Amino acid sequence: MTDAYIIGAGQSDFGSFPDESYRSLFDTAFDEAVDSIDADFDTGEIDEAFLGTLGVGGRQLGLSGPAVTEHIGLHGVATTRVENACAASGYALRNAVMAVRAGMADVALAGGYEVMTDMSGDHTKWWLGVSGETEWERLSGTTFAGVYAQMASAYLQEFDATVEDLSRVAVKNHRNGAKNPHAHLDFECTLDDAVNAPDVATPLNLYHCCPTTDGASAVFVANERVAHELSDAPIRVAGAGAASGPVGLFQRDSLTSIPASRTAAKRAYEEAGVGPDDIDFAEVHDCFAIAELLAYEDLGFCDRGEAARLLREGVTDSEGSLPVNTSGGLKSKGHPIGATGTGQVVEIFNQLRGEAHVPVTDARIGLAHNVGGSGGGVTVHLFEREEGAT
Amino acid sequence: MSDDRGIVSTGIYVPRQRLDSEEIESAWGSSPPVSRVTVPAADEDAITMAVAAARDALEDTAVNAADISCIAIGTTTPPLDEEAFVPRVADALALDDDAQLSSATQSTVAGANALLSAAETDGAALAVVADSPHAEPGESGQRMGAGAAAFLFDADGAVVLSDAATRSWDAPGVRFRERGSDEVAELDITTYERETTRDLVSNAIEALDVEPSAASGAALHQPTPDIPHRIARPLALDGEVIERGSVVDDIGDVGTATPTIGLLAAFDACEAGDTTIGGFFGSGSTAVALSFESRREIETGVAAALNDGEFVSYPEALRERGTLGTTGVAGGGAHVSLPSWQRTLPQRYRLVAGRCPDCDSLAFPPEGACPGCRERVDFQHFELPPTGEIVAKTVIGQGGAPPEFIEQQRRDGPFGVAIIKIEVEDGSVRLPAQLTDCDPQEPTVGDFVTATFRRIYEVEDVTRYGLKFTPE
Repeated sequence: MTDAYIIGAGQSDFGSFPDESYRSLFDTAFDEAVDSIDADFDTGEIDEAFLGTLGVGGRQLGLSGPAVTEHIGLHGVATTRVENACAASGYALRNAVMAVRAGMADVALAGGYEVMTDMSGDHTKWWLGVSGETEWERLSGTTFAGVYAQMASAYLQEFDATVEDLSRVAVKNHRNGAKNPHAHLDFECTLDDAVNAPDVATPLNLYHCCPTTDGASAVFVANERVAHELSDAPIRVAGAGAASGPVGLFQRDSLTSIPASRTAAKRAYEEAGVGPDDIDFAEVHDCFAIAELLAYEDLGFCDRGEAARLLREGVTDSEGSLPVNTSGGLKSKGHPIGATGTGQVVEIFNQLRGEAHVPVTDARIGLAHNVGGSGGGVTVHLFEREEGAT
Repeated sequence: MSDDRGIVSTGIYVPRQRLDSEEIESAWGSSPPVSRVTVPAADEDAITMAVAAARDALEDTAVNAADISCIAIGTTTPPLDEEAFVPRVADALALDDDAQLSSATQSTVAGANALLSAAETDGAALAVVADSPHAEPGESGQRMGAGAAAFLFDADGAVVLSDAATRSWDAPGVRFRERGSDEVAELDITTYERETTRDLVSNAIEALDVEPSAASGAALHQPTPDIPHRIARPLALDGEVIERGSVVDDIGDVGTATPTIGLLAAFDACEAGDTTIGGFFGSGSTAVALSFESRREIETGVAAALNDGEFVSYPEALRERGTLGTTGVAGGGAHVSLPSWQRTLPQRYRLVAGRCPDCDSLAFPPEGACPGCRERVDFQHFELPPTGEIVAKTVIGQGGAPPEFIEQQRRDGPFGVAIIKIEVEDGSVRLPAQLTDCDPQEPTVGDFVTATFRRIYEVEDVTRYGLKFTPE
């Protein structure tokens, strides 16, 4: 079995773009990903495409993958649309890695796209929270903000953490995102701003929630031979973990941990032969501030109940020993649902090639953590810069 | 009617919210005819109140829901113009499929007819009277309230329905509601209306085989506090006897439920051997008089229920009732089909959970693989107790609600949503549910809450009902 490598990664700006469509946004991301490949790349070499989208707004709900690849001129390429809510393109990447490792594709395209901001207020409401457990969780009156708020309520009750600690996530991620030219909310905020914002779903306020965003991202995955032909510094996919869990929060044993994150991380670490201590930086799924705290613990960055300490001590700041979300994360960079998973990989690709806007010095191993819904499906990928590269 | 068959237990339900007459007066410049009215919450209607009153009647009795052979419901405000509503109440109460269902509606005499239906059946029978009338806010809408009463009939009754009499003649326009309208109309032809009401009701009461003068309490048609006294003028009933059965000043005009709740108030004051008279009027016009004989004392809890509650402002009351307008949300991204919803009614109405036959793990809802052993099993069904502990909780504020709940939020404001852990002897399950009848900010993780049957949301004009939870 060949290893799989990331040889190119790109994204559109994340934001609100009434003049763009899901296809034009992907077109931009695709071009940037092609440009990021060191050698000249003939897009006719793409064997498979896996594109993630939830399909917010309906749009081309059926066959949206082929609608995109045909639109950008990848005529005839076998295209699979992947739907796993917010982890859609994390899973698209996983499929691309599997196709390459299995030898069915020399080069596979993984990506995602979502347009969320061009609908009426009424229409938008119907499409938020469609990935929660529908029959019970949604019909108890919650969208995702409510479900993550419930997790936060249980977490703040169980552990030594406060609303201020949740706000620290916003301060850190905005500080990073302000330097990212692709970020949706590219401004800094103070702890005071992030503590005193209007409530969305208590205990979560506006600064504890990511925005709804338009955007697209694209990543090229190649086998070992092609990777080294086309790239001066290909990034090896050292571990690809994924797991499912109950879709509804109420169906899980713990309200303060996402079991699928733990399992996916365990699988990725085992495959890569590394542990949490070996991680140099991470892009984690911070759709809501509490999610970043849970991620620290579920990914093994700290023990249960210790996440707030990491934030207070600056461990996960860009200058800390384990920077998290140097891209700005979902909070600042934005969360165009289907584009988020491979969007995280864009940051990791840039970091490991020394091209990031918020650089992490001597980074060798990066982790991407992508969560679908409130934890129904999770991918954890580990990426490694080859020795001697950059 | 058999000799000892009668009322063995009663139930009462009035909404938590009250509107004081001073609030109404400050809005309209004139005082309504009652001191205060009850205000139904956005998630309440005649069905939910009927369920609540019936549950209250069944509580602490030896009668199980499965023993009920008949349920008769009286209301002038069924939620729909056409479609039976009694099956929903029967299902929420877990009555057997073969229970006899009957409804009485269309006029304020409905409550008496429901009582007669339940009294005339064999076996344990429920009469439930629930009402929530609406009217033009500047006119009779000022006095409208909401509430429900329930009566469990069985052998060895504490209060026996001893006689009934009816009188009717054609006298239209006293109180009516046009087809398609939810507002009660009155023409205010004062003398005609008063005489019609007085003559019909007093004639029916005179036809009873008890002397009015023998009654210790009388619950008469009471759209306003003065009407029972006007009805009683031709009869030998003194004011104190009438006041024992009058509740309109405390809860407002609750349609056919006002004299019915009045009966509960009158029963409370009775000793063995006392007689209570009921005098129902229904526009059109008809009257039904009932006489009851107390065999032993009975506690209805009506005084406590009427004195409870929390006062709201006039704008809050209007918003809660939907008087300030309703809204719809276009589009659709998530949809639970009606058959899917209907399939889960045992869970939504009665918390029917599952126990794994292999490993004894508990599952809610009882479907899919067992959460313990992950085997695909046929769960053994059982009902969870209706009380549990909040283990996670949020408050959904403006803009945070799924579109299904936009209308409710508009009327009722921010709402709490909790994950509730319900413990039984050999384990526990968790379920997500809304909190109602409380300040949504108040309940916290660790608090205990109890299930209550409410309107959940409406899709394609069909209202879906289920359980919410309230602090204990």
